[in-house]
Amino acid sequence: MNVVNIETLLTRRILVIDDEDANLLLLQTILEREGYDNLRFLSDPLLAVETLIEFDPHLILLDLMMPGLDGYQLLDAFRRQTLPHQYRPVLVLTADTTIEARRKALAVGAKDFLSKPFDVIEIGLRIANLLETQVLYEQLTRPAN
Amino acid sequence: MPEPSAPLAPLRPVVPSRLPLAWADLSLTGKGLVVIALPLVILIGSLLALYFAFDAEARAEDEVRRAFAIQRDMYQVHALLAEAGSGVREYVLSGETRALAPLREAQVLLPETLARLDTSIRDQGVRQAFSEFLSLSDKKLAGLETLSELAGSNVEPDARMEAVRESLASNRFVLDELRLQIDEIQRLEQQVLDRRRSDVASDRAGFLWMTGISAVVGLLGSLAGILLFSNGIVRRVQLLEANAEKLERGEVLDPLPDEADEIGQLARKLNSASALLRAREKDLRDGEERFRLVVEGVRDYGIFALTPAGLVATWNAGAERIKGWAADEILGAHFGRFYPDETRGFLPEAMLARARRDGRAEDEGWRVRKDGTKFWANVVITALFDEGGALRGYAKVTRDMTDRKRSEEALMAAQREAIAASRAKSEFLSRTSHELRTPMSAILGFAQILELDQSDFDSRHKLAIGQILKAGHHLLSLITDLLDISSIEAGGDDVELGMLILAEVLEEARALAQPAVAPSGADLAVELPAGEIKILGDRRRVIQVVLNLLTNAAKYGATGGRILLSARLLDNRIQIEVSDDGPGVSEEDVPRLFTPFDRLGSQSSKAIEGTGLGLALSKRLVQSMNGEIGFRNRDAPERGAIFWFTLPVCKSPPDGLDTPSIGPQPITESTQ
Repeated sequence: MNVVNIETLLTRRILVIDDEDANLLLLQTILEREGYDNLRFLSDPLLAVETLIEFDPHLILLDLMMPGLDGYQLLDAFRRQTLPHQYRPVLVLTADTTIEARRKALAVGAKDFLSKPFDVIEIGLRIANLLETQVLYEQLTRPAN
Repeated sequence: MPEPSAPLAPLRPVVPSRLPLAWADLSLTGKGLVVIALPLVILIGSLLALYFAFDAEARAEDEVRRAFAIQRDMYQVHALLAEAGSGVREYVLSGETRALAPLREAQVLLPETLARLDTSIRDQGVRQAFSEFLSLSDKKLAGLETLSELAGSNVEPDARMEAVRESLASNRFVLDELRLQIDEIQRLEQQVLDRRRSDVASDRAGFLWMTGISAVVGLLGSLAGILLFSNGIVRRVQLLEANAEKLERGEVLDPLPDEADEIGQLARKLNSASALLRAREKDLRDGEERFRLVVEGVRDYGIFALTPAGLVATWNAGAERIKGWAADEILGAHFGRFYPDETRGFLPEAMLARARRDGRAEDEGWRVRKDGTKFWANVVITALFDEGGALRGYAKVTRDMTDRKRSEEALMAAQREAIAASRAKSEFLSRTSHELRTPMSAILGFAQILELDQSDFDSRHKLAIGQILKAGHHLLSLITDLLDISSIEAGGDDVELGMLILAEVLEEARALAQPAVAPSGADLAVELPAGEIKILGDRRRVIQVVLNLLTNAAKYGATGGRILLSARLLDNRIQIEVSDDGPGVSEEDVPRLFTPFDRLGSQSSKAIEGTGLGLALSKRLVQSMNGEIGFRNRDAPERGAIFWFTLPVCKSPPDGLDTPSIGPQPITESTQ
């Protein structure tokens, strides 16, 4: 039994950033299959901050290894665009399996980490978990509503 | 070595002609005695001569006195006899006996006086005259006595008168003869006296002459003594002094006559000291010469001396070879010119200061040659102090290390290139991993979605989806293992060695292996030594190896068999073993067990999944943790394979390795 309303969860805004169209399509398939309908897909990481401000997502799925931009810098930029009491988790997806890559990503602000290729079911569960936490956090910090 | 350049032909001091050996060899005490005694003896001689002169004079005076005494006594004899004669004559005329008194007196006094005269008269001639005188006086006295007796007798007066007359006449002539004899004796005595006087006078003159001669001889003797002393001692002492000065200057000594006295001995000692000193000096010079030749001959090292001011004082072949200057070009120049412009301003003085402070200063750096080219030098400067602690200068040893420097630089460049290559390889691996995994992500992801939606497909498609997933996963594990091996070989993946508790690590591995072991139906058991064992290793890698071995055991062991994970202590190592009860490995295949892609199992009838990289990867992982890995078949009659690997036991936690940051990883691998 979920603490959070499933409708609330599925309407959360999710921003997916990956330079590989195939992967974007895969994630789209997975997310739509789960029932999420407020999605934004971005294959050009240079537009990431812009899109972040404009779309204001509740969750970000981010590929760390993209041409033209360092994923870690992007993580840092996201953190700076996030308000002090705002909880906006980032799930990092990367083909870099080294322990250093995980540590660095988590240290810079990622909330969770998955190596590519990932298990379809596992990613679904992790996304749901992160969103649930996000919703709960939002409910706790929102005054008198 | 040339003789000292002072007077080339010094005038040889005139060596005194060889003195009589006895004198020369006489000891200084003897010489001193002689020199002092000679005038003294002469003085005593002249005093003796004076004494004898005075003695002779005294004796002459005695002779004179004696002569006068003889004269007086003879006159007394004459007087006594004359008075006795006149008394007797009166007696004869008067018959008065009173007139005989002078005769009686003469009879008493004459013998005494004559005895005195007998002792006083010594001269033989005088004594003859004296004996004549004696008989005359006796005759007179006897005559007088006879006369006196005649006068007193009772004979007839005429006869008596005649006899008296006769006696008187004879007596009168006796007295005259006596008088003549006295004169004769006096004359003789006078002659003796005169002779004596002249003897004394000549004696005295002789002694006075002797005294004069003595004085002259004494003076001459003193001069001779002084001359002897001067020649025998003073001159030689002066020569000795000159020789001592020469010894001090290290010159050749003048020869001194070989005499036995103290000065001669001193001279000999001085000579032998000089000889000894020259021998030593020669040894020293020889040693110095040898040393100089050795130093000058060294070609591999530049060895030279600096004055306290840093000026080049000596130069050797090595210095010339290394630096290019010949000795005559560089002597006297400041050693700062060996330094390049960048360091010349401060480094030379700093080096000297450090050498003064610490005794030596070492430096490595660029220096310049005469032709302006640079060379890499190793320089050691040693400060030289004398016994009093005053700075005498510096010794400088320079080595040309250019070749070594170049090879070092080449080595460093090679190392840099190797590091760059390694980095490039890591980068490449990382990119390859990304490039391979990204499409795999799409393939496996979509295949899994298809599998999840399999109710939409018929069985033919379901089979195809299953094959895609199976092949995809196989490809993925191939990629993972391959990249792992490459990564280890590239050295890009740092090993994180830390202190691990054996039981915990093996339990974790066992738990992770459980899903892989379960399908085979094998029984997985763990046997560990008692007590907590700490090992040194990388947690993730140890687990990976154990997991690999357990998975292998499950694949190749007997279905429903027994898999044993055990560990035992070997000295300072722990050996971890995984044994199964499968068919084992044939001996000829054992050497190929740890070779990549050599899947022995593929030849067997039983189809076994695997990448063929597991053991190769495990070997590299174990080696990266300073361990060994190996295999053996179980001893008959038991069947089965035993894979083992060792790891160092951690006796005490090494510094910096027991920090919590290197503990178990918070995130588990989610793709496998």
